[in-house]
Amino acid sequence: MKYLDEFRNPAVARSLLAEIKAVTTRPWVIMEICGGQTHSLIKNGIDQLLPKEIELVHGPGCPVCVTPLELIDKALAIAALKDVIFTSFGDMLRVPGSKKDLFLVKSEGGDIRIVYSPLDALTLARNNPTKKVVFFAVGFETTTPNTAMAVWQASREGLTNFFLLVAHVLVPPAMMALLDSPENRVQAYLAAGHVCTVTGWRQYEPIAEKYKVPIVVTGFEPTDLLEGILMAVRQLENGEARVETNTLAW
Amino acid sequence: MSGYPGRVTEIFDQNGLRMGRIDYSGTVNSACLEYVPEAEVGSFVIVHAGFALSVLDEEEAKKTFELWDELLAQAESESRDKD
Repeated sequence: MKYLDEFRNPAVARSLLAEIKAVTTRPWVIMEICGGQTHSLIKNGIDQLLPKEIELVHGPGCPVCVTPLELIDKALAIAALKDVIFTSFGDMLRVPGSKKDLFLVKSEGGDIRIVYSPLDALTLARNNPTKKVVFFAVGFETTTPNTAMAVWQASREGLTNFFLLVAHVLVPPAMMALLDSPENRVQAYLAAGHVCTVTGWRQYEPIAEKYKVPIVVTGFEPTDLLEGILMAVRQLENGEARVETNTLAW
Repeated sequence: MSGYPGRVTEIFDQNGLRMGRIDYSGTVNSACLEYVPEAEVGSFVIVHAGFALSVLDEEEAKKTFELWDELLAQAESESRDKD
């Protein structure tokens, strides 16, 4: 796929790995914040190729992991209502509540539909005026604007049967909560590029400054992540704590 | 799909929203283009959860790949020096 395959170039990856090995002199703990980064690191075996001194800790940036149990239970209760079409991204359906998950509620007769975008939920509301269509709005800064667009559009169309169960959360407070923990071991962060596409990266500067942690914004492909790790290690080795974005991306 | 690049092949109106058909090297889907008013047919956009988040700057991309070529040439030259 154009503009993805280029970021999987084995020669570039080997070169970056060699550089990481060359600059690492001490053990360092780096957290990749986003679940998408974790997925790519594991899928591509990057965690196993790094020098033993580099420990990657998987971060909280996954809506499935951070949505509170209380909200999952609310989702299950709403989804079981007779006059409701409950809509959600597919990955929320297996998340366990206190007693059930959305798949079980669906098997018991709940009208639960998987959608790809909140605009799909809006289409269901438009086409089913006698039903209440509820969208389970999960995710970080990347999905919140999309939910907002669906609300704006529902208002513009005068739809009165479109509802949200909101579970949106922000990345910076989660980063600070981790750093404030007495048990924290994280010394540097790899921040997620798609979040910064929405928010910019200035929001991370006060965190880098206050907690003295390097924060490197990366994409999701192997060379993005390797370069991000290299930049984080260079900062750690030099005693620096700045926000950077990986330069091999754009 | 999260943060994937695809090419806009068609722009259309859907209930007053600016939408695009997006081709991800053969897989075609639609995405909302309201947040990227600068996107045109032929643009590469980064799409996340049904919305285009940004338009990819192809000139910047070209520069990035040129930088890679330089890095690789440098790495090869250093490797030869060691041999």
